[in-house]
Amino acid sequence: MRARVHAWMRRRQGADVLPVTLERRRLYILPTGAGVAFGLLLFLMLTAGLNYGNSLALFLTFSLSAFALVAMQQCHRNLLGIAVIAAAAPAVFARTTGAVHLTLANPASLPRARVEAAVADMAAVAVDLPAHERRRLELPLPAPTRGIVRIDRLRLATAHPFGLFRAWTWVHTPIEMMIYPRPHGALPMPAHGGHKSGARSRGGSDADEWLGLRPFRDGDSPRQVDWKAYAREAPLLIKEYSPAGSELHLFDFAQLTHLDTEARLSQLARWVVEAEAHGERYAVALPGVLLPADRGPEHRHRCLAALAVFGIDDGLKYGGGASGR
Amino acid sequence: MAAAPQAADGEALRSLAWACAAFAGGVLLNLDRVPPWTAATALLLIASRLTAERSGARLPGTLARALLALGVVAVVLWRFHTLNGLAAGTALLMLMSALKLLETRARRDEFVMVGAGLFLLLAACLDRQSLVRVPLYALQVWLCCSALAVVASAGCEGRAALRLAGRSLLFALPLAVLLFVFFPRLPGAFWAIPRGGQALTGLSDTMSPGSIVKLVASYDPAFRVQFAGRAPPAEELYWRGPVLHDFDGHTWRRASGAFHLRQRLQYLGTPYRYRVALEPTRQRWWFALDTPAQSSDTNALLTYDNQLLGAEPLTEPLSFDAVSYTRTRALEPLGAFGRQQDTTLPPGANPRSVALAQTLRQRGGSDADFVQATLEYLRSGGFLYTLTPEALGADPVDDFLFDTRAGFCGHYASAFVTLMRAAQVPAHVVTGYLGGEWNPIGDYFLVRQSDAHAWAEVWLEGRGWTRIDPTAVVEPERLRRGVFDLLPDALATRERLLRGSAWLTRALQRWDAANAWWSDHVVKFDYSAQLDLLGRFGIRSPDARYLGWAFMLALLGWLAIIAWHIGRSARPAAPDALARAYTRLCRKLARIGAPRAPHQGPLSFAQAVTAHRPDLSDRVQPLLARYAQLRYEPAVPQSRNADIEEFRRAVARLSLPRAVRG
Repeated sequence: MRARVHAWMRRRQGADVLPVTLERRRLYILPTGAGVAFGLLLFLMLTAGLNYGNSLALFLTFSLSAFALVAMQQCHRNLLGIAVIAAAAPAVFARTTGAVHLTLANPASLPRARVEAAVADMAAVAVDLPAHERRRLELPLPAPTRGIVRIDRLRLATAHPFGLFRAWTWVHTPIEMMIYPRPHGALPMPAHGGHKSGARSRGGSDADEWLGLRPFRDGDSPRQVDWKAYAREAPLLIKEYSPAGSELHLFDFAQLTHLDTEARLSQLARWVVEAEAHGERYAVALPGVLLPADRGPEHRHRCLAALAVFGIDDGLKYGGGASGR
Repeated sequence: MAAAPQAADGEALRSLAWACAAFAGGVLLNLDRVPPWTAATALLLIASRLTAERSGARLPGTLARALLALGVVAVVLWRFHTLNGLAAGTALLMLMSALKLLETRARRDEFVMVGAGLFLLLAACLDRQSLVRVPLYALQVWLCCSALAVVASAGCEGRAALRLAGRSLLFALPLAVLLFVFFPRLPGAFWAIPRGGQALTGLSDTMSPGSIVKLVASYDPAFRVQFAGRAPPAEELYWRGPVLHDFDGHTWRRASGAFHLRQRLQYLGTPYRYRVALEPTRQRWWFALDTPAQSSDTNALLTYDNQLLGAEPLTEPLSFDAVSYTRTRALEPLGAFGRQQDTTLPPGANPRSVALAQTLRQRGGSDADFVQATLEYLRSGGFLYTLTPEALGADPVDDFLFDTRAGFCGHYASAFVTLMRAAQVPAHVVTGYLGGEWNPIGDYFLVRQSDAHAWAEVWLEGRGWTRIDPTAVVEPERLRRGVFDLLPDALATRERLLRGSAWLTRALQRWDAANAWWSDHVVKFDYSAQLDLLGRFGIRSPDARYLGWAFMLALLGWLAIIAWHIGRSARPAAPDALARAYTRLCRKLARIGAPRAPHQGPLSFAQAVTAHRPDLSDRVQPLLARYAQLRYEPAVPQSRNADIEEFRRAVARLSLPRAVRG
């Protein structure tokens, strides 16, 4: 039933491209539990007033009914005209809590109070929006396992000011949150691509630094081919060496034979994080994927993202109904 | 980090305190209607709950609460003998809600407390509708709505909540009035719930020496009268209440179960048309001027002794129209039963009075002469009109006539009727009110409890029942002036002060006129008044359907107004001249195939345009840069408007050629 209602709303509104201003036709409003109880109270009052022909009781009933209608309008307008400026979810590590960073703006002169934002049907975060201001809020999003969380809608709601009505709307904007594998594992960081017996000679001025692997090209010396990788059914790769001095690592999935897949990804993630923290260059090799040696935040993200989605076709989904994993 | 939980605690305490305040307000409004122990228990529970919240003490467990609840029901049953009825229901609601407070932990429970506050307000409204309480009721509504705001969003400060609720209620007021006027009423009740039979001040249906004196000390209004034409002179303002026929030597009572046909009367003199607005008395009789000829009201019965009797005891204020005459003549002789009823005296009681009557009667002449002789006896007998007569013994009439010779209207009426009956002249006591205070603001007479009076009616052959007021013989001024003018000691100090100043008297009259208006136009606004009002708007057909239509139209109109008014402030501010010019520029660029993406600022947009149409770069780039400068750099106040105007003109002049296809 809920899913069908959502599907209907989705069809009705269509997909949203931020920024979105909340218009009348996309706002929904219904009485809350307290509102329903208040309605019952009003009905009782009306019955008593009519039965006794008691004018004061009737006037009280009508005042409170009119008050409830005003409350409904106020609740509706508390959401009306708010602009959803941006929504994004930065990547996080598994087993932590991520967040959707949502920017809301109030372009009108009316201050908004207690606007609640939530991811799909999860717990809401409330924010006050003064006139002509914008606020950024973080909606917590659990990140239990690695992968991609796909959110297809955000909910904005408010029960302000009297809690008798709740106005809400759905913003159908796709948001993806990348969840990196949890950096975990006690193994020491491999140097020179983990080739313990490899041609690594520290400090030698003529010695080359391991740079990474690249696909084989015609004219490459067979001495430079990574035969070990080839033996593991990897494509024919060339080990590149740079002449200069900074540290360089190859974090190779295949090297960690004694661990299971998740533990291997965790270990690789940890190495990536540490290497990046130390300003070292690193490459990551996964079956079918090779990320050449580099460093910097973008490289780090590329590496960790590759680890995150390794072996996963579709990510986790919040609010889409079906959940992927 | 430590501040956050503290703030949350403060908010929890605040919302609980507001919910408690709403409930306590409801309790206080009902303070005079429920037994003191009920209200005291409720207030005590509120106080202890708040203390527990502050100190973080534990609340009683489920078992203790269940036992307490059972105990409360038992006590209410024991004290009231019922759970039905307004008083018992109110007491029960009060106590159960106070107990509910002990388990208030969630926001939902606090909503329940506010609801209880509103319910108690309803109970108070059902019982008391006087104008003086209306501000209290309004305050309670305001308090409850503010409490809703605080409970709904815990961060809401008290002052903000009061402002919010106050504004919302002001918005709601016009609709409330419309609803009140147009919401279809019922002509009757669906079911009756027993109401408390609490006695109110007012005339009772018995009269013993001193019973009226107690009444006279009360300054409360009894009823108000508005005459359609000329009002009768002050000495004719006899308002008939219970007519008392049976006398046991001490107390006068109404005739028990006797039923007679009313005599045909010839009405003499001016007919007086008037409208009486009665205060609730919990009695059946309605007060009318001397001899009512008819009442348009079908709910009242005109009895053989010219009383108006309502079908039900008066629990709500009531108005009725009537026509009265102050002089009548009977067209039929007094029936044997009526004569016997009104000449009966208790055997052996008041022997000296009986002897006196017979002496006076033997002087000869008609019954009318005998009446005159008796009045002459009272006039010349050294009788004193006082509010504080001495106590009377076993034969009160004898004691009064021969020993104390001091009394109030009840004494004189009682003694006079006894003397008449002793001489076989039919007579009875009439109780009611005499006079009334003219209120020039509301154009009506206000009759107070202190105007209570007792007089006599005597049957005279050829004339029928004739009003005789023996008190007027002793104290003729009583006819024109109120008791307080004659006997200032009758008043409590407060009232004496009030009457002492002309300004205060005037203010009191204004206040009473407001009360009368309130009672007439608001409290008694019922089905017929509603149809009446619609008739004034031109809707003549007495059809409830029209009420429904009027109601719907009013509702929709109000909703439209409110939606417009409230929605106005939610709209984004109108774009300024600069923004309008910028929008125009963007539109022009979009037309040549370079639309601005929503995320692009003016400078990145300029780059995009340059990439798209390098040939336009030198014309578009400066404009976009100028816009960024005007919009984001600190403004130079004096030249800003001129700069914007210049920018607008530049945008207007700009014409962009479409790309040449090639």
